[in-house]
Amino acid sequence: MDVARTEENIRLPDEVAQEVAEGRLQTEQMVLNVGPQHPATHGVFRLLATIDGEVLVDAEPVIGYMHRGYEKLVEARDYRQITNLVSRMDWLSGINNEMPLALAVETLMELEVPPRAQYLRVVLLEMNRILNHLMFFASFAAELGAITPTFYAFREREDIQAAMEMATGGRMHFGYMRPGGLKEDVPKGFFDQALFGVRQVMDRIDDYYNLIIGNEIYKQRTIGVGVLDKELAYNYGVSGPIARGSNIDFDVRKDEPYLAYADFDFEVPVGLNGDCFDRFWVLLHEVYESARIVEQAIEGMPSGPILGKVPRVIQAPEGEVYVRCENPLGELGMYLVSDGDRRPYRLKIRTPSYNNVSVLPVVLRNTFVSDMIAILGSFFFVLGDIDR
Amino acid sequence: MLDERKLSAARKRTYGIGLLKGMAVTLKHLFKHNTVIEYPDEKQDLGPRTRGVIALKEENCTVCMLCARECPDWCIYIDSHKETLPPKREGGRPRKRNVLDRFAIDYALCMYCGICVEVCPYDALFWSREFEYAEYDIRQLTHEKEKLSDWMATVLPPPALEAGAEQPGQPVAATPAAAAPAPTAVAPAPTAVAPAVQPAGATTPTPAPSMSAPAETTEADKARLPAPPAHPAPRATTDPEAAGRSPEVPTTGQETVLSDQEKAVYQEDPGPNVDVPAEQPQPVALERSEDAEAVYQQVLKEQLDKGSSAQVAEARARVARAKAERGIKRGPTPLTVDKPVPSAPTKGAPRPEPSGAPEAKAPQPDPGPVAAPAEAGAAGSDEAETSAPAAAKEPAAEEPPSAEPVSTPDPQAAAPAVGGSDETPDQVFERVLQEEKAKGSSDAVAQGRAKAARVKAERAQK
Amino acid sequence: MFELNLSDWQILLVKLGLVLAIVPAITLVAGYAEHKVMAHLQHRLGPMYPGGFHGWATLLADGLKFIYKEDIIPAAADRKVFSLAPLAIFVPTVLTVLVLPLDETLVVEELDLGLFYLLAVSSISTIGMLMAGWSSSNKYALIGALRAAAQLIAYELPIVLSAAVAAMLAGTLSLNGIVEAQEWPFVLWPPGIGLIAFLVFFGAGVAELTRPPFDMPVAESEIITGAFTEYSGMRFIFSTFFPEVANMVIISGVATTLFLGGYQPIVPLGFLDAVPGLVWFTLKTAFMVFMLLWIRPTFPRLREDQLQKFAWKFLIPTSLVLILAAGAWVLYAPEGLK
Ligand code: SF4
Ligand code: SF4
Repeated sequence: MDVARTEENIRLPDEVAQEVAEGRLQTEQMVLNVGPQHPATHGVFRLLATIDGEVLVDAEPVIGYMHRGYEKLVEARDYRQITNLVSRMDWLSGINNEMPLALAVETLMELEVPPRAQYLRVVLLEMNRILNHLMFFASFAAELGAITPTFYAFREREDIQAAMEMATGGRMHFGYMRPGGLKEDVPKGFFDQALFGVRQVMDRIDDYYNLIIGNEIYKQRTIGVGVLDKELAYNYGVSGPIARGSNIDFDVRKDEPYLAYADFDFEVPVGLNGDCFDRFWVLLHEVYESARIVEQAIEGMPSGPILGKVPRVIQAPEGEVYVRCENPLGELGMYLVSDGDRRPYRLKIRTPSYNNVSVLPVVLRNTFVSDMIAILGSFFFVLGDIDR
Repeated sequence: MLDERKLSAARKRTYGIGLLKGMAVTLKHLFKHNTVIEYPDEKQDLGPRTRGVIALKEENCTVCMLCARECPDWCIYIDSHKETLPPKREGGRPRKRNVLDRFAIDYALCMYCGICVEVCPYDALFWSREFEYAEYDIRQLTHEKEKLSDWMATVLPPPALEAGAEQPGQPVAATPAAAAPAPTAVAPAPTAVAPAVQPAGATTPTPAPSMSAPAETTEADKARLPAPPAHPAPRATTDPEAAGRSPEVPTTGQETVLSDQEKAVYQEDPGPNVDVPAEQPQPVALERSEDAEAVYQQVLKEQLDKGSSAQVAEARARVARAKAERGIKRGPTPLTVDKPVPSAPTKGAPRPEPSGAPEAKAPQPDPGPVAAPAEAGAAGSDEAETSAPAAAKEPAAEEPPSAEPVSTPDPQAAAPAVGGSDETPDQVFERVLQEEKAKGSSDAVAQGRAKAARVKAERAQK
Repeated sequence: MFELNLSDWQILLVKLGLVLAIVPAITLVAGYAEHKVMAHLQHRLGPMYPGGFHGWATLLADGLKFIYKEDIIPAAADRKVFSLAPLAIFVPTVLTVLVLPLDETLVVEELDLGLFYLLAVSSISTIGMLMAGWSSSNKYALIGALRAAAQLIAYELPIVLSAAVAAMLAGTLSLNGIVEAQEWPFVLWPPGIGLIAFLVFFGAGVAELTRPPFDMPVAESEIITGAFTEYSGMRFIFSTFFPEVANMVIISGVATTLFLGGYQPIVPLGFLDAVPGLVWFTLKTAFMVFMLLWIRPTFPRLREDQLQKFAWKFLIPTSLVLILAAGAWVLYAPEGLK
């Protein structure tokens, strides 16, 4: 084993430095398996990282560990069951997943959704968005090493969670949407709880801001890190807060208003530089805007039924339709082909996380290992949403 | 506020002030009152809608199997057997009913979607907010009906609704209530509906009331039962050949929502013991011969001609024979084909439901002891009785109980009846009145039914 | 002669025994404080059940749990080095306690070269880290070990240089001597020099502890637990938790000794002398520990290169300038001010 210390293989530091400078010294690259079980990937996501020291030379995301065959499964389930199934696709934004399905069926069946149902939907969707964003606020900070935001965010989540639970009975998988409206009306006290929850978040955003965004260490870690060009984002079909962080001013809620979104006054925060900082900044601002929407919707809540004239058996007539909604993570599209059955003939689901993650290898190239974590954290994705 | 913090301002270098601000935030929380709920000692007050665990009200369950069928995970296991009860009236037939033997939910599989609770038409399933039933062994998460019934005590009443909600009858919430066996809500309808059937069934005395009433049904319920068979019946009287020729026709009546494809699925090679509801017209065939054995042969031949598998054909023939033997002239099964639609989760997969009839004591409750109520009804005359109420009540369960059949006379049903019997409305009235009296109905009931029949006949004429 | 030697040995043994008993005890207390303080900073309660009263026995229960855990050594690991590494980290930690003057006379061994000994012993743990990381034959462990080595060496320098400032101001390397020299603690006097030296020492100390915001070697979201990824059971405790908490207390103690006036009252006012030196020392150390606990949950962590930059481009130049300033102060400051 021992290499004899002869004159030839002893090199002085100067010589080594020269070799490095001339590119003669071969430093060895190492393939690091980040995941499928790794704290930073929050889920079974694997990143084949080729590293040279602390520098990430190449990264290749490996997905599919959680493939559950949703698109095939739903062909054998009726619409009510599908509502509950798609809820589990992106487990952080259950009710947002149910939305495009309900909209697609409504479009095909030409169902009228009563205004109260629309407003309630908006309330629930936006509260779910806040839940989702707070979760990513927490996890991103935790990945950068700040553990406290997790607890603060979960404290605020809890109150909104309570409101959601009050209405739907569930904490993550709500199963509350129905083609034509909602499953049932919200119970008494829901509006108070919801308002309390979102107002509390609005108040506490200052704390979040001071704790994380204003922190110099945080800025050092995120500014200029993981820059996603506007062009690149377009090419890869990136959407949601990540795209908006890259200065793409597109939000389905604003640009193709569905439900009652046109009634509300809210802004779409847009970043400039496309780095981790901007993405996260957009995320935090969206929390605020969502909270504003919830407030407005509850204040303007119409009364009336919550389910339109819906036949007893939901059977989308023959036809096809593509519906897209603004999931918390980006554009969630569902392409529903129906042959007039109680089940879809085909349901193609375009999930935001899938596209968002596919741009990762490009962004990750030539970063540091620590940056990799920051970038992974700022490419808000949910594994179930990628693999579905 | 946040709006003022424009992005560029946020990105500015701040030389340590941010660090201090962050420390101030955490320090502030050090002195704040804590909101932690110390779980085992303190408990959160969960709402009544919380999906904690599913509780079963055993008395209410009629083994209609709807929940098991609609469950996306097939994690509800139901077994039942028949029980014969003494006749309610002197000289009546003994009544039979399904008795629940096993009702288990595998909570290891359950995804807490709540569909079972939502579909149960008899108010037998409820959400309880209880959630502390973890086990060390996954097998112990299958909870039997005793345990499920225990949880009934923890079920909270449904919450009041938020301001602006449609308070009383929102469709879904109302479902169980309307469907509850309390017949008062539906009582008005039957009296109007039942007579409408009579002209159709003119050739044979109506067997329905006495035989299709399970133990707990009341007069009103009984009266309601005969309503749906209006479709098969006319053919029986007027055009038996036609009915025999196209056995599917009767199912595509007013209530039918089966698409062709589904029917196809449904008729595809069902498992042993499974009868196919779409094939309900055998009773029609019975009209032609009272000889049980002949019926058997005839049905068998018909079925085989039609291309049913030998097994299915035989099963159907046997059913037909049994009915003939017992003198059932006309199928009492009020098929609302809506329900038997296989929620069969695998489209195209031929047999997701291995055992349909409750006799098939599926000993191990694998993927699906899911039996459509109508299947059960078709599987034998015995089942017909008990499943009848299930099928009959369902429409009432989900539709407002406004007796649709009356307000919208079914052209398919009514037209042939009139055309075939050539009775004037008055004649109809008289005939029905006589029939009712012969049957022993009280005067008022007989009058009512006869009147309704007349109205129906009049409308049909127009 | 022989007898005298024996009794010396006996005394030393007793002292060592005391240290071996006290260090774990203090670690437990500090660990418990860490649990609780951090929990409340994060608006939660922390452990509440073990032991009954506010979960005081949490760490005992934790220790018990770790004892019962399976001790796994990876098949590909270098067994000997792998098992020795925790020792190489743990022992120096205990050894540093020997020279800390808790009170005028309350010190295990008063060395003339106390400061020198302290700094020398505390840098041994770097080797332990490297041993652990290399022998585990795990990529994460390797990265962690190299990060740790780079970081510990980089921050060793500012620590030594800023400690040198204290030594220069006191004119001795003996820890007792340094404390005695601080009638006014160095943080307050000489103005500026002492304070900045203290901050440099403190910052580098945090890095030396590999605690946030300088915890890249064990950054759990990046490289699991760095060098100790493969460790389990008691070995894990003795290589991560125990040294980390113990070192936290020790660094606080050293900072107290060097810059906060050790067992001396915080300001030289007559009536404060009534309070025993041990209490002063404990109070000051506790304050330092609290600062460390406060920083930990508040900040995100730096990146490896930023960490190095911070050490080489900021802390080391600063401390070099401080040494100059301290020298100038010692030589040229008017006698009345000293
Ligand atoms: S909650 Fe859903 S999955 Fe669970 S038993 Fe009911 S229907 Fe089945
Ligand atoms: S759906 Fe039918 S089988 Fe299921 S619980 Fe209700 S009554 Fe019983």
